[in-house]
Amino acid sequence: MSLPFDPLDPDTPPLLQNPLRRRLFTAAAAAVTGSLAVWPTLTLAGAAGPGANRFVLVILRGGMDGLGAAPAVGDPDFAAARGPLGQFGAPALRVDSTISLHPNLVALHAMVASGEAAVVHAVGLPYRERSHFDAQQVLESGGTRPYELSTGWLGRALTASGHKGIALNTTVPLVLRGRADVDTWAPSALPDPSADLVARLERMYVGDPALATALERARRLHLDAPPPMQDGPMGMTANGARSGAFVTLAQRATDFLNQPSGPQVAVLEIGGWDTHANQAAPNGALANGLRQLDAGLEALRTGLASGGAWSRTVVVVASEFGREVAVNGTLGTDHGTGGVAFVLGGPVKGGPVVADWPGLARGQRYEGRDLKITTDLRAVLKGVLAEHLQIAMRVLDNEVFPGSERVRPLSLLRS
Amino acid sequence: MAVSPQLHAAIAAHRFGLGEPNLGVVGGDAQGWLAAQIGPADAARGSGLLDTRQALALVAAERENRQLAKNPPAGQTAQQVLAGHYRESIVADARSRLATAAATKRPFAERLQWFWANHFTVSLLKGSTRGLVGAFERDAIRPNIAGRFETMLVASTTHPAMLRYLDNWLSAGPHSRVVAFEARRATRMEEGPRVSGINENLAREVLELHTLGAESARSGIYTQADVTSFAAVLTGWRITRDPLPDASMFDANWHEPGAKNVLGKRYGEGPDALREVLHDLAAHPATARFVATKLARHFVADEPPPALVDRLAAVYLKSEGQLAEVYRELIRDDASWGAEPAKLKTPEELVISTARILPGGDRLFDGPQNVTAGGGGGGNPALAVVGLGQRTMAAPSPAGWSDRAEDWLGPDAVWKRVEWATRVADRAGRNVDARRLAADSLGPRLGAETARQIERAADGSQALALLLLAPEFQRR
Repeated sequence: MSLPFDPLDPDTPPLLQNPLRRRLFTAAAAAVTGSLAVWPTLTLAGAAGPGANRFVLVILRGGMDGLGAAPAVGDPDFAAARGPLGQFGAPALRVDSTISLHPNLVALHAMVASGEAAVVHAVGLPYRERSHFDAQQVLESGGTRPYELSTGWLGRALTASGHKGIALNTTVPLVLRGRADVDTWAPSALPDPSADLVARLERMYVGDPALATALERARRLHLDAPPPMQDGPMGMTANGARSGAFVTLAQRATDFLNQPSGPQVAVLEIGGWDTHANQAAPNGALANGLRQLDAGLEALRTGLASGGAWSRTVVVVASEFGREVAVNGTLGTDHGTGGVAFVLGGPVKGGPVVADWPGLARGQRYEGRDLKITTDLRAVLKGVLAEHLQIAMRVLDNEVFPGSERVRPLSLLRS
Repeated sequence: MAVSPQLHAAIAAHRFGLGEPNLGVVGGDAQGWLAAQIGPADAARGSGLLDTRQALALVAAERENRQLAKNPPAGQTAQQVLAGHYRESIVADARSRLATAAATKRPFAERLQWFWANHFTVSLLKGSTRGLVGAFERDAIRPNIAGRFETMLVASTTHPAMLRYLDNWLSAGPHSRVVAFEARRATRMEEGPRVSGINENLAREVLELHTLGAESARSGIYTQADVTSFAAVLTGWRITRDPLPDASMFDANWHEPGAKNVLGKRYGEGPDALREVLHDLAAHPATARFVATKLARHFVADEPPPALVDRLAAVYLKSEGQLAEVYRELIRDDASWGAEPAKLKTPEELVISTARILPGGDRLFDGPQNVTAGGGGGGNPALAVVGLGQRTMAAPSPAGWSDRAEDWLGPDAVWKRVEWATRVADRAGRNVDARRLAADSLGPRLGAETARQIERAADGSQALALLLLAPEFQRR
């Protein structure tokens, strides 16, 4: 058993030095040092070709409550700290002696049980303030401070690896920005414009590279796109993504990812996690959001499995921050820091929760308030990018997550 | 400056205004045309519009509707009864916003009202704002866009729509009377209290999004402790679940007793403290800089010239937040009149400017057609705003809609503009001479390549589609 943190790292939480700490089993983190040795140090030629591995990032905008999605029902301080928010209408779905999943995460729980999904808890960014907008900037840019970087970590990773990306959205989210090959796709009710008009537009856009590039990419995507699916009812949420159709977007993502010469990397997002009030309502934002997320993850699994790609796919689900441990004055939770992330897919070594559990007592919280971050989200992402997309550690340390040399990758995949 | 009067007119019409079919409207003195528009925004156009008091009555009546929904009339489901309660007012609000912008003779003022309604975002995406968003724009923003910033800040922060949108109506002082009462009731009923303390949402967003800006948190001008104590100042500012239209917005039973420290200054207990904090926030140099940066970004460039921001911030501070003075500096400054159109139109700007240049377009939103329902898609400009990714009055977050091109320039977003322009041009193109319209509306901004493509178009509809999609019309 090893730790998700390097004990030599000065940023390692002091908890690690405490022999009485409650720590969840970190089987998935086994032999970090050992597996580093076998990871390729150079990007393999052909890593991005047909039959290449697939990667999906699901961004949960608004700050998902990690203790709502993956409640620490086995923590002695959970019930007192959470009060009415510790009740879910149905029994939580047990993962291990400390952590369970919200009862609406049925499909995810089944994937955990079958060893295809890992729950990573007390996870977060190097950013420790509580602004949505700054935290999302850090989550997507891969920097250590807001606005330090203006492109996205996944965009830079794709530049290095040669993989093609797609955002299931009308615009390219920051995380995919960079110089990489990125398309966007979202459902439309209108017929395609004529090829003749598009050709004329291309001539007209010669002097406007930004419009020209966007049009050229859209044209190729629409000409080569798989046949349209039936669109469900739509509701607009963060950044134009349609959360009511998260399942639709997930299904459509599998269509793209199943194509042999299609994109290998997809980014989806779902908003509505900013649960300041009445968080425990059975049909409230959190319960509905988790239900939708669960259905979308199941759609990814079944869609990619039917196309044969699930065994080559890793999905990471993450939010910009978690929420305060204590219930606020309105039966909700205010912005916090530490939260939960999920990693799922055919190659994932699922099972027990991956966490160095910090505890929920007031003295164990960050600033007496939030679930303390004991696992850097970048450790999760670096592990997946290295093992699954074969991106060299040198590139991860210097370009994808600059300034992260001391954040050791977490190995979450079966070797 | 080597900018011709015609180019000046084109910039005034499209960058500062909302688009004109003919630059003759602007005349020879573009700056004068804009300066004459500085003042409160036009009264909102349309019928069925509720003021804040009436909107509160509608919210109060929701309770009866919930009762009715338990026993819905024949032929209606409970959901239809509930959805119907706000439908008319939401449709009227959205249509009014678009109709006012499409028809106004003071497009600079209208663009400023858009800007401020976005700065102080209240979004329909949150159910608790239903019925109140239009009233917020009409009562808190429209009259105040050219007064002191502080006036608009107070109107926004204490408006029921904002109090509900950012949860302050539910926030109680931990030592307030209502919390003590709720605790006793909860013990008696053997259940948890529904209300037990602070909700920080409004406090954080007023600091981060409305006044000092997120940069101020990063540089330590305010901290989490300031957010928490400002939230305590805000307790008591609320409207009840079933509001009385004439009820005061402040309820002392919910207010946290005692003095509070915000940004190192002590504020007393009670309702006056909020106005004092907002006064000090409005006067803070970080607020001047934040407001100046956002205005310059909206009108000039995604990354605005620092010198322009400096000058606007200086005018803001010197005039004690007189926004009319800041606007005068903005239109006086050479940096605002660069010949290159740096700003990409948002979908709402694109749809409104299209309506404004097409014959009869100013009446597009006055018709009986339904804004939020019905088929057709691209033909109805109100639906178009939704389809292009910007549902009216429903910004994705309290930060409002993005004012940067990169957030609107994804391949799919551009493709949807092409789809929509094609549909509009199919309907309108036969009655419009796009070659002439391009010259009249864009003047010297019309580039040679665009003029050539419009000239060579296969038919009138294609010519109009090309004009609507031209870089000169997509940008401002």
